[in-house]
Amino acid sequence: MATAEVSNKKTLKVQRFKPSDNPSNTYLTDEKGVWAWMTTVDHKKIGIMYLVSVAIFFAVGGALALLLRTELLTPAKTFIEADTYNQLFTLHGAIMVFFVLVPSIPAALGNFIMPMQLGAKDVAFPKLNLASFYIYVAGAIFTFIALAQHGLDTGWTFYTPYSTESSSSVIWVTMGVFILGFSSILTGTNFITTIHKMRAPGITWGKLPLNVWALYATSIIQVLATPVLAITVLLLTMERWLGFGIFDPALGGDPVLFQHFFWFYSHPAVYIMIVPGFGIISEVISTFSKKTVFGYWAIALSSLAIAFIGFLVWGHHMFTSGQSAVATTVFSFLTFLVGIPTGIKIFNWIATLYKGSIKMDTPMIYVFIFLFLFSIGGFTGIMLGALSVDIHLHDTYYVVAHFHYVMMGGTLIALLAGLHFWWPKMTGKLYNEKLAKIASVFIFVGFNVTFLPQFVMGAQGMPRRYYNYVDQFTAFHQTSTIGSYLLGVGFLIILYYLMHSLFKGAKSPANPWGSRGLEWQATSPPDFHNFDHTPVVIHGPYDYHQPMEEFQLGLAVDTNGHDSGTAKEVVDKERDQWKNYSLG
Amino acid sequence: MILSEDKKMSEHNHHEHHVSSAGQLWAIGIALTLLTILTVGLSYVEIPAPFDVVVALTVAFGKAFLVCAFFMNLYWDTKFNSMLLIGAFAFFILMVAVTLLDTLYRNDVVPSF
Amino acid sequence: MSNHSQAHPAHLQHHFVDSDQQFDAAKMGMWVFIVNEILFFGGLFCAYIVFRAWYPDLFTQAATELNTVWGAVNTLVLIGSSLTVAMAIRSAQKNQIKGLQINLLITIALACVFLLIKYFEYSHKLHIGIWPGAELYTYEGIDHPLAHVFFSIYYVMTGIHAIHIIVGIGLMIWIYIRAKKNEFGSEYYTPVEMVGLYWHLVDVIWIFLFPLLYLIE
Repeated sequence: MATAEVSNKKTLKVQRFKPSDNPSNTYLTDEKGVWAWMTTVDHKKIGIMYLVSVAIFFAVGGALALLLRTELLTPAKTFIEADTYNQLFTLHGAIMVFFVLVPSIPAALGNFIMPMQLGAKDVAFPKLNLASFYIYVAGAIFTFIALAQHGLDTGWTFYTPYSTESSSSVIWVTMGVFILGFSSILTGTNFITTIHKMRAPGITWGKLPLNVWALYATSIIQVLATPVLAITVLLLTMERWLGFGIFDPALGGDPVLFQHFFWFYSHPAVYIMIVPGFGIISEVISTFSKKTVFGYWAIALSSLAIAFIGFLVWGHHMFTSGQSAVATTVFSFLTFLVGIPTGIKIFNWIATLYKGSIKMDTPMIYVFIFLFLFSIGGFTGIMLGALSVDIHLHDTYYVVAHFHYVMMGGTLIALLAGLHFWWPKMTGKLYNEKLAKIASVFIFVGFNVTFLPQFVMGAQGMPRRYYNYVDQFTAFHQTSTIGSYLLGVGFLIILYYLMHSLFKGAKSPANPWGSRGLEWQATSPPDFHNFDHTPVVIHGPYDYHQPMEEFQLGLAVDTNGHDSGTAKEVVDKERDQWKNYSLG
Repeated sequence: MILSEDKKMSEHNHHEHHVSSAGQLWAIGIALTLLTILTVGLSYVEIPAPFDVVVALTVAFGKAFLVCAFFMNLYWDTKFNSMLLIGAFAFFILMVAVTLLDTLYRNDVVPSF
Repeated sequence: MSNHSQAHPAHLQHHFVDSDQQFDAAKMGMWVFIVNEILFFGGLFCAYIVFRAWYPDLFTQAATELNTVWGAVNTLVLIGSSLTVAMAIRSAQKNQIKGLQINLLITIALACVFLLIKYFEYSHKLHIGIWPGAELYTYEGIDHPLAHVFFSIYYVMTGIHAIHIIVGIGLMIWIYIRAKKNEFGSEYYTPVEMVGLYWHLVDVIWIFLFPLLYLIE
């Protein structure tokens, strides 16, 4: 029993709650059955449902990618028709962007982990959380209706005027995206409110885990940008249906205006995809270096800076679309600014590693892969932001390689890092470390073999989205295809050992990595209410120089948190005011 | 001792929600009505080109301010909620301004600034 | 709003510590939602501004087809409904359940009046051939090749606003039914206040739509 004295004479009794390594009941043992899962408002179960959906969509999108790569083995037709090819790359892009990358980290891992990192029992609006999952499912159904009808061949960008003329099922997909947008909006709204209002006693803004800061920045982008996508696809639907004349040049509209609207969402959207990845990297890098994150505030605030600058650069997708020279110049300049906060993050992560006691477990391996691949993706992005260079590289494989390095080498690798990091927390099981390391080699090698040649052939003039190509690119395309198969094998290995872990894996202790994060001070898998006490936080989430027991405190007098001091009274107290507590 | 402290804390923390008086609300309603009549009236006055829009929007902003501050209680609310509103508006302006950077200068080959 | 006398008020959800936290969270969530709405309509206003800057003549000519008087009447109707919603929240805060119900009913009635006037405006336009979209637009009274673009913008802006009104009526009916069941009072009136915020937002959007569409002469 310990007592914490606060300078203004407030006294809170705190007590150590050591998480059991053998929890008797967990969120998985409470509320069993399909119906209980489908109607649950528990953020952990909703996070798992998102994770499963994202994995399924990733499998579909990945299979499409392998088909595309196989088709590109030879310069002419290999085994599918040109029209089918157009539909396949459109679906690959649309599925990967809207159904995998956007919801992957925030909705799946974020949903599960974020409330636990805040010491909350749930997100602020649990029913809304469940609703956004079903809205996501509804959006997916619309997209599959389009698939079953005439497919979609506009590319995931739906550029007018082609999208108003194409004979494919554009309206079904735009409606699907419209619906999907609401899922994203509701998640963002929910997270912002949760981070503001649901923090456990002692968690000041300066003690928020960096993952939460990253999700906060992401949610802000989601809330500000997604509504514009909604109105854009609505206007596009109207354009196609009634001939509104806003985007269609034949009716007096302006197709470049559509691109402005589209990229006002879709450029910030790439930060919706990558910023939560930054959060995971910060968590993992600190845990496996056993060291306080270097430059906490620099990393935290650079997420917000990226979110803000991300809104000012959308025109760099339109350098060759005929927008005004003034706009291109300004957009090109602003694009370079994004490199600053991103560079700040990379440098701070590297500085965190410096003199840390680094442990190369699987999550950490993915962090190193991330640092390598994302840096390449970032640097090539700067090159593409340079106005004159972009005129040459626009819509070539160079762009394709760039955004795969950022989106797959960045977001998906961060997702893999996070998945391997939190897997024991989510399932209570350990996975086969040796197989995981083998898979990570496949992923790393396969990825680079796939996408490095694309930089070269892009720079030599190979346009993206083409079905045929001239013979000189054959070697590059074939190397790329072989690489994609290696990637596929890597993901199959991951699928195998994760499934094996789920059913036959060894039991995980509560905190297998020795992390100081609050989510690790719950049992693995966590209790239905995350913690059976109200956690009290006195140290920052990365204070590895402090003993573990000081991270396992909770209110001693506890009747579900209703009687003791409310969260709000203690959250504003700074570290110094908690000095006087003692463990006894 | 702990319990008594808790009680004090909750009293300290407990905040009254603002309750507007009926007179206050009616006054705002009447002001909004008058401003509506004013803006309709002004639309019949010949005001040279850019300023007619400026006048109409100024009145509209005045009305929006009254609604947000006193009907939506922002005046008595935490500052953060006002910040959210202002932030949303700022991002809208940003979107329009940057889009206009293109659409207004579409035909200039060389930047004119 | 002190709930500390009783440990678990019926309205308090399990994951909140107390009623204040629940109320503040709900209100903040609502404001974040309002941010969404502003950006949602923001896209439409952006299209409006771009086209008005390109074709000022189109807007001055086409706007003469919109009836300023009915637009102004509708503005006053919405302002009135905003006032009654504010009064409804005040009634709830003061535990006057009867007043809450009456004010909600007046608000619903005013919202219906707004939609009725909108209906007459729309049907008049459709009758003379002003349809949304170039394919259906047949009216020849406006001497401008892009007249259909103005009315596309007009229809989509007012149309989406009208959908918000309809949603608002639904929400108000829901609140009314709950008020009848005596679920609200000075201790708990969060849903009333949230629907009120939504309704005021719909009013504010109309406050901008009215001068931008009807008052261009």
